[in-house]
Amino acid sequence: MAHLIQVGAGSGGMPVLDMLCRDPRITRVTLIEPDVYKPHNVERHLFPLSAVGESKAVLARNWMLERRSDLVVELLPWDLCDPAQQNAINKAVASCDIGVCAADNEPAKFHWDALMRRHGKPWTLGEVLSGGIGGFVHWFVPGGPCYGCVASYLKRSVTVDKPPAPDYSQPGGPVQETTIPASKASIQTIASLHALLTLGLMDNPAEYSPGFTSMLLTLQCVAEVFEEAFRPYRFRVPRAADCLICQARPTPSSVEELDVALDQALARLGDA
Amino acid sequence: MSLLDSEAGKRRLLSVEIPVIERYNDGRDPAFQIRMSRLGGTLVLRYCLKPGHNIYQLETRLVSSYPTVPPETRVLTALKHCPHLLEGQTLCLWRQGSTRASSRWDPARFTCIFAVQAAWRWLACYEIWHETGEWPLPEAK
Repeated sequence: MAHLIQVGAGSGGMPVLDMLCRDPRITRVTLIEPDVYKPHNVERHLFPLSAVGESKAVLARNWMLERRSDLVVELLPWDLCDPAQQNAINKAVASCDIGVCAADNEPAKFHWDALMRRHGKPWTLGEVLSGGIGGFVHWFVPGGPCYGCVASYLKRSVTVDKPPAPDYSQPGGPVQETTIPASKASIQTIASLHALLTLGLMDNPAEYSPGFTSMLLTLQCVAEVFEEAFRPYRFRVPRAADCLICQARPTPSSVEELDVALDQALARLGDA
Repeated sequence: MSLLDSEAGKRRLLSVEIPVIERYNDGRDPAFQIRMSRLGGTLVLRYCLKPGHNIYQLETRLVSSYPTVPPETRVLTALKHCPHLLEGQTLCLWRQGSTRASSRWDPARFTCIFAVQAAWRWLACYEIWHETGEWPLPEAK
């Protein structure tokens, strides 16, 4: 009897959801997904061409109910970071047992991490590298390293990919996305690992210990990047003592006091 | 996390960003202190830097998705067209996947003062480029 909450039902999230919803221990699913199914999704998605134009969240619900008519499915068809929907999203997260992040952008991953930590929930994350040359799976529990700790650690110590990168320093300009698509087979492989990790963590969040915090599985041999295909790299990432994301620092306890303190600080530092 | 709209964003500002700005300002000539103002969902830092003999006015914007998205810094003082300068005199400071660690924005380790220091380093390079025609730091890849 577990309540799963997942953000993202794209080409990476949907196969994870498909595998998880078949597990009889999961009886309730909340899905956060605002997008509409588009023609370019068809190649790597579970849904057919005839579904183009429909809400991905609705398509996902139908997919799950066709396989598990007893499942309780709740849809939150919103952007995870939409300020107007935070109350409802917080409420849903508070009632879940485990979270799955299948978001494809960093702000959403950090936002998800903050939500999960706030409510003390375990969660997992899967990431397919561009071109499908490999992928990461990560798991998180309350009190452990946060997504900021993990991302910071992996940025420092691992070279995993060298694609043209988004240029975040161009304000207001288009943010280039890496557009080398991964194959359905690569996505499915990482999604399977992601689902296995999630089911293991769901079993016993307090004592789960697969021997890594993050695992990278290479799927292709790529010159100067991966020496060989199908090689796992296990990373034990500690919680960073100086992490600016998860380490608690004294601030006012109530939201009202927080607003007052922020107004005062901005007035102090404002233009004279 | 929305910087000025969410509780997490406000806590980040009060516990991390504002204290480091106040420490930066502490004892500094008022003309070189950082001043802050709101602009919609963005927080704007205005300040002057003097990496050599010239003083430059700058503006660093912490957009609503900061710190996940790096700060954007532009020079308000007119510059000559030079390397590593983007449209609107915005400094090219961050690049995901860069071979140089300090050029990869890391929200878990960097604060807005790191961006100010990065701008100082950029301007120091600009001053040398202005005299020699060569950018002193090698290209990050």
